[in-house]
Amino acid sequence: MPQTDAAAVALARGGDSEAFHSLVDRHSRAVYRLAYRMTGSPHDAEDVVQETFLRAYKQLGRFESRANFGTWLHRIAVNCSIDLIRSRPHRETAHDGTDLEQFGAAVERNDRAGASPERLMMSTEVHERIAAAMTGLSAMERAAFMLRHFEGRSINEISQSLGLKTNAAKHSIFRAVRKMRIALEPFVAEPAARGSLIADH
Amino acid sequence: MTDLKHFDEDHLVLHFYGELDAGAAAQTETHLASCGDCRASYARLQRVMAAVDTLPDSVLPEGFERVTWARLQPSLQRSSGWRSWFVRVPGSLALASAILILVAGAFFAGRLSGTPERADIVTADQMRERVLLADLGEHLDRSQMMLVDLVSAEDGGVLDMSAERRRAGDLVTANRLYRQTADESGEVRVRELLDELERLLVDLAASPDTLSSEDMANVRARIDANGLLFKVRVLSTAVRERQKQMRPRAGQSS
Repeated sequence: MPQTDAAAVALARGGDSEAFHSLVDRHSRAVYRLAYRMTGSPHDAEDVVQETFLRAYKQLGRFESRANFGTWLHRIAVNCSIDLIRSRPHRETAHDGTDLEQFGAAVERNDRAGASPERLMMSTEVHERIAAAMTGLSAMERAAFMLRHFEGRSINEISQSLGLKTNAAKHSIFRAVRKMRIALEPFVAEPAARGSLIADH
Repeated sequence: MTDLKHFDEDHLVLHFYGELDAGAAAQTETHLASCGDCRASYARLQRVMAAVDTLPDSVLPEGFERVTWARLQPSLQRSSGWRSWFVRVPGSLALASAILILVAGAFFAGRLSGTPERADIVTADQMRERVLLADLGEHLDRSQMMLVDLVSAEDGGVLDMSAERRRAGDLVTANRLYRQTADESGEVRVRELLDELERLLVDLAASPDTLSSEDMANVRARIDANGLLFKVRVLSTAVRERQKQMRPRAGQSS
């Protein structure tokens, strides 16, 4: 197995399948994790992993040998995730607040179901709540939020990538943050202060 | 963006992500320094975001890389070919690939369950379809035999999987081609079955050389739970029926 990514890429370009295999071994987990965050679905994430490596393989000739292979692959994976999300029918973010209310009500029900402040402070529960909140995001909200929060993409870049108007991209992020805030408020505020972050405004 | 006194949440989100222009950002900082309510709101927002940052990565099973490679390899070989591809691919499979390209779109589109066209005129397409049906039928039979072997394997300690792995690996490539053809032709049920079969084949191809009796029980349970063997048998029967319908009647040329 080649010691470095650069060596593996050089061999893979020459038709060495084992060298490419070593790149898959080294990077497939990271690609999956990114894809799962972006798509929120294990099946979609697996498809993105496949498509990412397939595209990388086809484009190996274009890879600059001085560049970082992981970074290059990461970019391809983001694009594959975006392509998959865009290929699905979606509505641009609605602004009637109905799903936010439903989301808030669901969180309240969970709270009443026995999550004491002490229990809620446990990190595993924090993670469960974040994960649950993530599942409450629409595909576009999730993708926009992930690109902004974890990938550091600007709203302009996100709107172009996702094929949304700038305002729609912005509102997808706002709504995602609101859902996160509703879900996580018990962990970050006094119970008495639970409710709107800006209730007094 | 703001009311008379305070910033709304959206504005604070933009500030948090550095999306405000320099002037608005400076104005926001000044306001936050002097407004306790907004400062508290912003601090809560920061804590929410910090909590989001603690989300751990998803846990992947051991052997994830093996499964990924087992699924990926056939596509890589097809996409442009490792140099050894044409050497390693069985001739019948290469032929099947060529045939698939020729008849894709014409084969699966409802024909397996539909009424055959007139059998008294044999076109070149029908000839190719016959060959493809024979290939697909053989593939399903081989898959069926493998499933039967797995379901009926003796439960006696550690099982040597090396032969099954090879069998599964051989079947994955062909299965993928048939699945993609079904997908492109909109034959959803066939595609779903082949997809299900492929997932099992991929896992088997990527399995270790030996499986414990517990692992084998899991494999059997997976086959049983999804009725996979039964579904493969049904599809295989449908293919054979179609083959019979395609056969020229006595006295007809083919």
